[in-house]
Amino acid sequence: MTFARASLYGFVVLALVSWGYILAATDSGAADLVSAKTWSNAGNFSRQLIGVDSPTRPAYLEVDRWLVTGRLALDTLAMSVLAIVLTGVAVLPTFLPGARNVSNGDLGGAPSRLGTLFYHGVRLAFTLTRAVPELVWAMVIVFFLSPGILPGAVALAVHNYGVVGRLSAEVVENLEPGPARALRSAGASNIQMLIYSIFPQALPHFITYLLYRWEVIIRTTVVVGLVSAGGLGREFRLSLSFFHYTDLALLIMWYLILVIAVDLLSAWLRRLVTGRG
Amino acid sequence: MGRRKLKLLESRRLLTLLLAGVFLWSLSTVDWRGPLIHTGGLAAFLDFVASLFPPEMSPGFLGLALSASWQTLAYAVAGITLAVLIGFPLGVIASGSVSGSPRTGLGLAVAVRLILAAMRSIHELVWAVLFVAAFGLSSLTVILALALPYSGILGRIYGELFNQVPEGPLRALRSSGASPFRVLLYGRLPMALPDMLGYTFYRLECAIRSAAIMSFVGIRGLGYEIQLSLHDLLFDQVWTLLLFMVGMVVLVDMWSSRVRRSLVT
Repeated sequence: MTFARASLYGFVVLALVSWGYILAATDSGAADLVSAKTWSNAGNFSRQLIGVDSPTRPAYLEVDRWLVTGRLALDTLAMSVLAIVLTGVAVLPTFLPGARNVSNGDLGGAPSRLGTLFYHGVRLAFTLTRAVPELVWAMVIVFFLSPGILPGAVALAVHNYGVVGRLSAEVVENLEPGPARALRSAGASNIQMLIYSIFPQALPHFITYLLYRWEVIIRTTVVVGLVSAGGLGREFRLSLSFFHYTDLALLIMWYLILVIAVDLLSAWLRRLVTGRG
Repeated sequence: MGRRKLKLLESRRLLTLLLAGVFLWSLSTVDWRGPLIHTGGLAAFLDFVASLFPPEMSPGFLGLALSASWQTLAYAVAGITLAVLIGFPLGVIASGSVSGSPRTGLGLAVAVRLILAAMRSIHELVWAVLFVAAFGLSSLTVILALALPYSGILGRIYGELFNQVPEGPLRALRSSGASPFRVLLYGRLPMALPDMLGYTFYRLECAIRSAAIMSFVGIRGLGYEIQLSLHDLLFDQVWTLLLFMVGMVVLVDMWSSRVRRSLVT
């Protein structure tokens, strides 16, 4: 309890220093927040989003605009599916060796130098990929891959590889060792023990984490699309720079539709996986 | 008939087929005809990997990376503190435990839960792009954009934690005549606090990443420097900055997991 308390005080000090720095050393815009000009600008922007003063009909009332942008929304959805599948495919073979109790033989296998080496390698990969945000990965990856859906999906998958990989490895570390040891004492080999005991126990957790991450990924596809030039993100950036604000409003509507749809779908699939409901 | 339909919908084999179909569809949206890799993309990739050995280590650049890390940390901490200040009261209302009358309490709770869901539907960078267009670029605008989705998630989690505390002590408080507010203050809050603290520290780690990508709207920090170095194709500098990013996240992660462990025991 004392460490937690010290951390709490430490955090408060850190917060005060951070706020002090931001208000004193950066262009905080605190004065702008009370100026009438800022608020009238903000009011103008919202009116332009809705398109009240514009001579043309707002984009979100045009059926063909919905159809054109719907294509981009589908692309964005595809990007998120591709990202989650790539993540799953990459994590699946690595999360077992990335669990400490598998690599050190705590579950009944024999510890080997190779296993330990593999464990540290996988953990390092998890940490490196997880620590760097999706958008930064996307900025790097557009140097190699042609713009479109794929670089965005790869960038999302790289970051989520670290997130899901680590969570799944931790699930294995917290598993009941009983079933594995029982198999072991019945003469199962290391591989058999992993396939018939650890893997089936961990699989539902693994899929649940993937589905949870899908909800995060669909929110991030637009952000990644800003640099990877795929789906809604590209159009978002273009509409913003050409001041096509009612188009922007339409894109935000599609974005919200996708987010809500994926949230519902993911909740339904998670219920199926865990077998409840 | 309806029952059978439900069974079919829930059969796992069908589900697997469906998911495989969705995956194939997602593959079909990628333009496979064009070159997937840029001309020179492979060379750029090899160059990028080779630049890790070694990354830029000159004292001047390390100083720059350090100050950029501090800027990113300051934004993350400021965003999280604002998110706690907004998320905490909303979480209290969302838990539905604040009002004396269950009817108004529940109505308020549902309304606030919807608001929380709306706040976290939109990614912090999308909020930032919109806010910058509306209010102009300044650090407070960006911190507000960062804090919005984080308030949404913190409010939801705090509300759930308030509801998960054991009933016994609350009943004891109530039977001794405590008002709903006192039950919250002396019952729910102290019992939920350890988990709330642990979760908030975990979110701080995420906020560091979010603060770094605010460079996209022009905020200085690690992301900003990474963008500049990428623009000049100085991959060795990019690696140094990435390693600072990793280091900062690892440090905060170690701090937060130690906090959580000390709270469990």
